[in-house]
Formats: sequence, C-alpha cells, structure tokens
Amino acid sequence: MTSITQMEDLYTQRGKRARELHAAGQKVVGYFCCFVPDEIIAAFDMIPYRIQGCMSEPIDRADAHIEPMACPFARSCFNMAIKGDYSFLDGFVVPHSCDTIERMYHIWRENTPAAFNHFLNVPHMMGPSSDAFYRKELEFFIKALEDWSGKTFDPAKLKDAIKLYNQRRARLRELYALRKPDPPLVSGAEITQLLVAGMGMPADEHIELIDGLIGEIMRRPQPKGPKQPRIFIWGNEIDDTAFIKLVEESGASVVMDDLCTGSRFFWDDVPETADPLDGIVSRYLHIHCPRSYKPAAETREDDLENRFGYIGEFVKTWHADGVIFYIIRYCDTCELEGPDLREYLNVKGLPVLMIEDDYSTSTIGQLRTRVQAFLEMIV
Amino acid sequence: MEENDQAKTTATKGTDAARKVRAMVKNIYKSCHDAQAEGKKVAYIMVSSQYDEILRAMDIVPLPTENYAGLCAAKRDMDRFLTKAEEDGYSQVLCSYARIGLGFDSMRKDLGCMPENAPDGGMPLPDIILGSSGVCDPRFKWFQACGRFMTAPTYSIDVMHPAVHCDLNAVRDHYVRYQKEQFEGLIAFLEKQTGKPLNKERLWETIRLGDEAWRLWYESDLLRMSKPCVMPSQDHFSVMVPAYYYSGTQEAVDFFQDLVNEVKYKIENKLAVVKDEKYRILYGGGLPPWHTMWFFNYFESFGAVFVIENQYRGFDPVEVPGHVKDPVEFLAWRTFLRYTKRHEQARANSGNPVVERILDLIKDYDIDGVFFHACRSCRATTIGQIHTKNTLGRYTDLPMTQFVSDMVDLRDYSEAQWKAQIEAFLEALAARKRPL
Repeated sequence: MTSITQMEDLYTQRGKRARELHAAGQKVVGYFCCFVPDEIIAAFDMIPYRIQGCMSEPIDRADAHIEPMACPFARSCFNMAIKGDYSFLDGFVVPHSCDTIERMYHIWRENTPAAFNHFLNVPHMMGPSSDAFYRKELEFFIKALEDWSGKTFDPAKLKDAIKLYNQRRARLRELYALRKPDPPLVSGAEITQLLVAGMGMPADEHIELIDGLIGEIMRRPQPKGPKQPRIFIWGNEIDDTAFIKLVEESGASVVMDDLCTGSRFFWDDVPETADPLDGIVSRYLHIHCPRSYKPAAETREDDLENRFGYIGEFVKTWHADGVIFYIIRYCDTCELEGPDLREYLNVKGLPVLMIEDDYSTSTIGQLRTRVQAFLEMIV
Repeated sequence: MEENDQAKTTATKGTDAARKVRAMVKNIYKSCHDAQAEGKKVAYIMVSSQYDEILRAMDIVPLPTENYAGLCAAKRDMDRFLTKAEEDGYSQVLCSYARIGLGFDSMRKDLGCMPENAPDGGMPLPDIILGSSGVCDPRFKWFQACGRFMTAPTYSIDVMHPAVHCDLNAVRDHYVRYQKEQFEGLIAFLEKQTGKPLNKERLWETIRLGDEAWRLWYESDLLRMSKPCVMPSQDHFSVMVPAYYYSGTQEAVDFFQDLVNEVKYKIENKLAVVKDEKYRILYGGGLPPWHTMWFFNYFESFGAVFVIENQYRGFDPVEVPGHVKDPVEFLAWRTFLRYTKRHEQARANSGNPVVERILDLIKDYDIDGVFFHACRSCRATTIGQIHTKNTLGRYTDLPMTQFVSDMVDLRDYSEAQWKAQIEAFLEALAARKRPL
C-alpha cells in the first residue's frame, strides 16, 4: 500500500486506527478544538483523538438535544456520538474554546458519557495571569488522568511526547513547504486528507505516513500547467475535502491555510523547557484562534498587525494571490474576526472572498459560482 | 422612523416602579452626553461583567451598548443599524446586539455625527471600551471589532467559573486568584486612563450599594411568590435596567426599596395583574423579544401570567467570607460564589445548576408551565435550552415550550407562528389543569 492510498483509506474510514487501538485495549481520548494538549494524553500512553464531524451526513438526531442555531460542526459531532460512532472513545475532553463547545460538554456528557469526562477551562484573555490559570487547569487535567488511569504522571514522558509531537509538527511544516512552488507539489485536498488521517492515530505512525507521502510526492512527476491563482484559506473547521476540492476544481491552487484543522493546530512547536508544562502553556494558550483576545494595541494598524501579522507572513511566504474565508455558520468569534482580517489583507492588496456555510456537503455546490467569480477577478 | 409609524412593541406594566424605568433608560444616554461635557470618562460596557462597582468608584460613566440595542428594538428603529452592519460584512446570524452596536458605530463614523433621530439621543463616542468574557464570546470580540469605527483605549477581562463537576474546595482559590488578577489589571488600566488611583474606601461603598440593590431585588422576587401575581415578567425585564446599569448607586437602592414597598402593598391589597389568574408561567430562559414585549399581555388576555424568570437576576445573594478585607478580592469572591451557587446542589441531583434553579422556581412559585425563548443570534442564552427542557422532564410533567425569534432582529419573528404556538401551549396548560 502506498502512503497516498493509506492516507486515503484513513481519511475515508475515519477513526479506523483509533478503533483498532481501542479494540486492542489502548485508551482513546477524544477532544475538541486546539486547546487540549495531545502531549499530555500521550504521556499517559493514551491515544489522543481529535473529534471530527461528518459533512456528508445529515444532522438527524442531535436536534432533539441541541438548538439548530448552534455551530453545525459541533452538532454534527454530537449527532455521530449519539448514533454510536464515537463508542470507541474511552475519554472525552472539552476545552472552553467557545460558547457552543462549552455547552456541548454538558450535553454530550449527559447523553453519551465516556468512561472519563473532563472539562478544561481556557482563558480568553492572554497575559501572565492567564498563563498561570491555564497551567493550573492543566494540572487538574493531569490529576484527573492519574485518578482515572491509576498511573502516576511522569514529566519525563511528557518531555518525550513533546519531542515526538514537535517532530510531527516539523514534518507537517516540511510538507507545507511543498506548497510554496508554483504550481504547488501537493494539493490542498491531499493536505486535508493527511491532516484528518492524523487526527486519529499515534503521532509516530502519522510521522511515518507524512514521510512516506513526502517521498511519493517528490518521486511523482512535477505538476505543470498554466498559472493558477494561489489561494490562502482562513476559517474554522475543514475536516472534509469537499470545499477545498471545489476551489481547486474551479481553477485555483490552495497553497496555505489558517484553520483549526490546519496550520493553526500544528504550526508552532512546544518549547522544550525544563518544566515541560511551561512549554505546553506557552504554546497552547497562544494559539491564534479568534476566540482568544490579544491585548489591544494603541493604534488600529498596530492592533491588526499584532493579531494578524502571522497571516501576513504566511500569505507573503506562500505567494498567495487571494484569500477565501470559510466560516461555519454561527461561529460568533470568526464572524467578528472576519471583517477585521479582511481589512488587514485588503491593505496588503489581497482580495478576499468571505463565505459562510453550513458544514454540509449538500450546500457546497451552491458556492461554486461565487468561488469561480472570485477566481476570475483575481486572474 | 416617524413616531406615528411605530408599531406597539412594549408591554403594559403591573407596577409603578417598572413604569419609571423608561425615564431611567433615557437618563443613561443623557448622563453619558452630560458626563463628557463635564470632562468625565464614558465607557462602553457589557452587562454582568462583574466590574460595575469599580467603574462607579472611579467616576466612569457606563454606556451599555447591549441595552442600546434593546432600546432600538423596542422603538422599532433597529433595521437601519442591522443593515449597516451587514453591509459592512457582519453575518446576519451574528449576535444582533453586536450588529446594532457596530452598525450604529459605523453609521456615526460615516456621518461624522450622531445618526438622525437616534433613539434617546444616541450613544456618544466612548472614551474607553471595556469588554469581558463573562456570559458570552461576543462581549470581547464585539468591542475588539469596534476598533474599525473609533479610536478608544480598549480593555477586556476574563470572568471565569468552574464546570459543575469540579470539586469547589479544590478549585476555589485558583479561580478567585485569577478573577482578582483580572480586576487588578482592569483597575491599573482605568487608573492610567483617568489619571486617578482607585479609592478602595469608595469601592467598598459602591459594593455596599450594589449588593443592597441586588438584595432588595431578590427580596422583591421572594415577595412575588404570593398568589395571585402582582408583578409580572414584563416588569422584571424593565427593572433589570436599574439593577445592572445603575449598579453601585444610591439611585438603584432607592428604586428597589420602592419596588419592594409597592409589591408588598399590592399583595396586601390583592392588586393582581389579571382578575382571573388561571395559569402561572415561568420564563425559563433566553433573552426577551424586545421588539414584541406585548406578547406578555397577550398571554394575560387568556388568564396566563408570567410570574417569575430564570433570566437576568441570575445571582441570588452570596456570603463572602469575613476574612476578605480587600474590596477587589471581595469582588473576585463574589463572582466565584455567584457563579457556583447551585453547583453542589446540582451535583447531588440533576447535574445541572440551571435545572436546579428552575425546579426551585417551579416549586416556590407554584408554576403551571415553562416558556423558553430561543434567540437565533444568541448562542449563550439559547444553546442548552432544549437540554435543560429534556432534563427537567425527568423531574416534572409541566408543559414546557420553546419559542423562536431573536432578541432584537424582527426578521426572525413571526406573529402568526407565535400566536399559533401560544394557542397550543395554552391548550396544554388547560389539559393539565382539567380534572380527569
């Protein structure tokens, strides 16, 4: 089996590897969003599993428990859970990333509890006291894992996990670098498949898969063709290739992203500090998510640069010609962030298409005309 | 909007106290204009951010942007601000309070002056903007977005509380410490903005006033257990204005003392809201539909009265330990205790503090049915209502209903649909009361 077919297999059969490991007696801990450190779960010899939804399945059961004006991604995940699709999760951990996810913890826990359930509070504000607060919350999390597993937390194992996950991050950055050439050597759809595959498997296996994929990409014929618009995607959850494919089939290359399921979750390394929790705190609490609030700068320009400077670097380094915002409806923090980010990017001369969607493949087709019109404008 | 075009939106109140609130609302915005003329600082604020008494102690005049959105809806003058925000790129499903606020700010910026005939004279440009993460996410993101329309020093604080399953003894110090640090950061920011240090004796005084107003508010609600109902929910949704936006002032204390006296008088004299009270309804949660508050009176025309609410007066009085001698630490403790008041009760019973509160209200107020309002653009007060309803169903067989519209966006409201649903709910209430 090639790495590409293995990746496609893992992407199509979501959770396949995690289910196998669960069946073999390993504990699988499911979690939402970017604020639950994989490394801590791995340090207890458990398998971290990033919970995903299913864009191609209707939300047919969740509405009896949660309002339809809640994030459809979260509702889709819960819909799968009450249908038994997440019965392989031994643990369930939810960070307070946003209003909907916070509510989801209680609704999920009440209706389909795992053996281990934990809520991780995460400050919205960023500053020294927030770091201390988050660290304490992580200590509570570790204590809860100790109580559940009967194991004693070993900081050395956390250091090892940090090293391992940093290796995975480095490999993913290496893979993302293959998107810099024009045309890029790897498509956005392939990247999405690889990232989704990695959400439900141990990091060392994912590293092996990434390495294999990079090798196969380098060995296959280099893509050629007319110049296509290079697109940067910004938004929240994209754990399905449907939208990325739509953009690429419309005549563009998706070359870089800032998504919860993309660079946002892996880009920055965890610093390898003497006390491993220090590194974890400084990395995870400072993830660039719209739900976090950076202290306001004195001028508008400085404030935007402070908030979006990293995106400015991304679009410059990956030579983006345009930016598409893909926002899953009812995400208040993204909805409020979007217009500010558009202002920032427009000043840099980058056109922006802002799309709000329902986390459903059945609505994707309706977006084709808008995407095509946007791409024509760029060309 | 021409005055004579305005549809009826408000409800007829049951108490004189509630009828006085309209003037207090007007005064909020007038005070802001006056304050700036006097050189005082005016701050955009978010309700229930737990910092009100600090602002009062530092002579900062609060300008509640959410209340302004509700006011625009009650005056049916919200569309132009909603539309402006949507033209500026804000989603039609984003918090409609935020859309009205941002639309207003955007229009004021474009015009270079106050939008014409802005309700109650409009919101002046603030000197300071103060967000928080208490209650919902838009409370700091909205104010961050304000930077697009104005230049004003902006600061936000976290207001955090533990999940219900936490061991409070284990997490208490941790939460109180963080909350205190958040308040201290805010105070340092305000001292820089005002050039004046916080006077802690003054803060103790505003806390005393704030707590006394809220204690009286609580007392008035306890009195409302009396049957028949003398103070309906539409009054509650008025009196939240002095409770929140005059918090830390003698005015608020006087207001609630008058309210308590009036409720007592009405009970003694059996001055009921409706002559023949058939059904006692609990407003179970969700922001009220400010655009159509007369629906309370519509219910009353069928003998159904909303007698108590699980909205706005979210906190019963709490007892901060006597060893706390610093007012900032007191506020941190009070925040923690307010948010965790029913945690232990919930852990011992339903697992859900909201359910516990509603069950208490059902019992204490002899409730016949529970009404929830789901707002399409408010995640914080809407998500969880169905779950709450489902959990309540394990403990009570009362009829419960969830109506859907929005707190201020009339486009999400259908009068015909509401009336049909009201009819069905009334039938359910009648069926339950009918002898077998």
